Amino acid sequence: MSASTLNDSDLGRLGLETPISRIDRALKQLWEGDEAKTRASLINLAIYTEDSSLLASDNDLLDHVAAEHACRALLILALPESQPPRARAWIQALCRPYQGKQAVCSEQISFVLEGGDAAQVQNIVFAHLDSDLPLVVWWQADLTQHFEERFYSRIDTLIIDSSRWSDPAKQFDALREAMSAETADFDVRDLAWTRSHFMRTALASCFQDAAALQKLAALKTIRITHLKGRRTTALLLAVWINQRLKTSLQLELIEKDSGPALQSLVLEGDGVRGEVRRDCDSSFINVCTSCGQHEHKDLLPADVDSDAELVSEQLSRFHGSTLYSSMLPFVRSMLK
Amino acid sequence: MPELENPFQETLLSRHRAEPCTVVIFGATGDLTHRKLIPAIYNIAACGDLPPQFKVVGFARRDKTDEGFRTELEEGNRKNSRQGHNDELWGSFAQCIHYHRSEFEDLEGYKALGCLLDQFDVERGAPANRLFYLAAAPEAFKPILEMIRAAGLNKGVGDKWARVVCEKPFGKDLATARGLNAVVADTFAEKDTYRIDHYLGKETAQNIMVLRFANSIFEPNWNSRYIDHVQITCAENLGMEGGRGGYYDTAGALRDMVQNHLFQLLTLVAMEPPTDLSADSVRDEKVKVIRALRPLVGPEAVGKNVIRAQYTAGSVDGVSRVGYRQEDRVNPESKTEPFVALRLMIDTWRWQGVPFYIRVGKQLPKKATEISVHFKKPPQVPFATSTMLRNSENTLVIRIQPDEGIALRILCKQPGQAQNVQQVKMDFRYSSSFGKASPEAYERLLLDAMAGDATLFARRDEVENAWKFIDEIEHAWHKSDNPPTMHEYPAGSWGPKEADDLLRADGREWRLL
Repeated sequence: MSASTLNDSDLGRLGLETPISRIDRALKQLWEGDEAKTRASLINLAIYTEDSSLLASDNDLLDHVAAEHACRALLILALPESQPPRARAWIQALCRPYQGKQAVCSEQISFVLEGGDAAQVQNIVFAHLDSDLPLVVWWQADLTQHFEERFYSRIDTLIIDSSRWSDPAKQFDALREAMSAETADFDVRDLAWTRSHFMRTALASCFQDAAALQKLAALKTIRITHLKGRRTTALLLAVWINQRLKTSLQLELIEKDSGPALQSLVLEGDGVRGEVRRDCDSSFINVCTSCGQHEHKDLLPADVDSDAELVSEQLSRFHGSTLYSSMLPFVRSMLK
Repeated sequence: MPELENPFQETLLSRHRAEPCTVVIFGATGDLTHRKLIPAIYNIAACGDLPPQFKVVGFARRDKTDEGFRTELEEGNRKNSRQGHNDELWGSFAQCIHYHRSEFEDLEGYKALGCLLDQFDVERGAPANRLFYLAAAPEAFKPILEMIRAAGLNKGVGDKWARVVCEKPFGKDLATARGLNAVVADTFAEKDTYRIDHYLGKETAQNIMVLRFANSIFEPNWNSRYIDHVQITCAENLGMEGGRGGYYDTAGALRDMVQNHLFQLLTLVAMEPPTDLSADSVRDEKVKVIRALRPLVGPEAVGKNVIRAQYTAGSVDGVSRVGYRQEDRVNPESKTEPFVALRLMIDTWRWQGVPFYIRVGKQLPKKATEISVHFKKPPQVPFATSTMLRNSENTLVIRIQPDEGIALRILCKQPGQAQNVQQVKMDFRYSSSFGKASPEAYERLLLDAMAGDATLFARRDEVENAWKFIDEIEHAWHKSDNPPTMHEYPAGSWGPKEADDLLRADGREWRLL
């Protein structure tokens, strides 16, 4: 990808272009003399991408996330193949109104790094963190040599979206290797997995029905309808179901060209059926459990869907989980 | 058949999830149900945290259909729901709402309620837990509890539980609280009794324990060696609007606020670290604080340590206000206090010699509840003698409402050649740092009651010991031959001069909120 693919209007939205060596001074000036703004920060949130077409949407995403999670936001667009090498930076305040008069603001520093290497990315990130605050990185690119030990050993939370990976099998291997490194101590939050949260919650609700619960052992099949490009989410969901049931149900995946990432989940067996369905444009999901003559229906809120909302949701969950890592070998085997 | 665990529940939640449950609200046509309880349950549903196959039954005297009841509640929800009102969600949620008409003293009505609950269980395919919420007037608690017992509804079906949630006021003195506790104990075990105090459901109240016990910098200083005194203020800028004078004039600030809400805050500030976070470990430590309060016995001790007052005509925010005795539904000869300030001592090693000043009042200049912990001054401050430093001790302020947060006042050097020292404030605001709105106190407390976590509910001994302490003061005020004076303050001021004198006598003053 070359620098020429950079869109001037996208760059213009990043705020005030500032020489990298003067970022701290420029940030200070940004706040000086404006008593109506309160600066707040609880985390460092960095987005790393190698796709210049994502610059505008990532910029919007940070604006959305910062409204709920006060942060020092870093947006890094790395274009390793681009020549000649050049590094540019922009600063801006992400503000939201507070009590009518004041604005609560987070800082965003954006970088476009052309022709740089892994060390340059690390230096840039580590030089501009708000000290003592946790570092959350959403690594949007593939886990290549830029994602290396000296970098991930400093990360507290790594956000990925495995459904974006062009070669999921290879990327899952790279992820597992990083997670098993001696110095790695980061939580992994996979947005592909987060997207299934509402389905999992609804499924739990489905089988809270006493009659259906008694028939769990009779379940035989899983049928998941998902949006094209969200196969990993469907696979992760299927692995989770099999793990929970300690079995291996027959899996059928149905791909659709439009609609929500996950559209329906049906578990079926002799005399028992649990269905979770989310219709297009609905913020709710329909849950239906049938067991012989007995039928139970419910309406539950659907989880958020956009990347910004998913990231925001993840930042609200500070507890890590070993569940995801325990599923990786199974997902990896299904990708063979 | 042994009960199966739902394998899909595990791994999903960071908190204990409630199992299928029916909530029965007694006094369902009242203000609390419309303004707080149903909007709280609706918001729990909107967050997806409501247990599956949930039902709520409104129990009251008036004749209504399910549909009529739902329509009334919908109106209340539109006005009061924290997350707004969604017609689609309400449409589904409303199906779980039912109405049951009965007199509180009519056993047949309770038997019919039992049949309705059984019918729900049949529809569910299994028995569910039952939570009885007493939102009726306190005088109705006794007949309701007796009828619940007589109808056999106080026992869960199979291995399911039956619990009761009691709204405040829990008694009006020690004798009535004990009487009520006895009735409750005849019907429900203490572990199934949840006495609600909505202050404990507030995010900042819950944060007091986290602040104290998760931060190593505070706890070593949290004692009489480093803390000079503690102030707890609960100010309201309203009077007796909306007809509340009728109830309030029978209670007063001491019974209405201090015995429950402010004592709960006091115990959270003063308690020893619990051995764990189980409900009883936390409540064991809280009750020790109440027991250690130095009793104020007799009019002299009460007069010296407690200031009561009524407001006279004045203005708040530029709006004229009548005096307390001129308020709607207030006795013109009333001896009830809408303001009280107390100096309390806690006789423990940790708090020896550290006064806790509490004040609560109506028609004060602003609405605010906060705790301020005033640290001792260093033995010597060699820098400056400015009058600006008169009240320059480090102060940790925990704002309960509004603008929830924590502030720490410290001293810093002013820029310049001279060694001038200036107070600065490090301020943490929940709303600035966490964009998401906190759940309403009732949402948290209802979910806790459904999930069986009693940590944020008052235990019997807590309530009775608090009343025991309060009764001595009430006795000195109303039953002694030489009762302490009822002072006055103009509406819109920070209370009577005598409340200021209470601290001034100790060389201190109230924090300016």
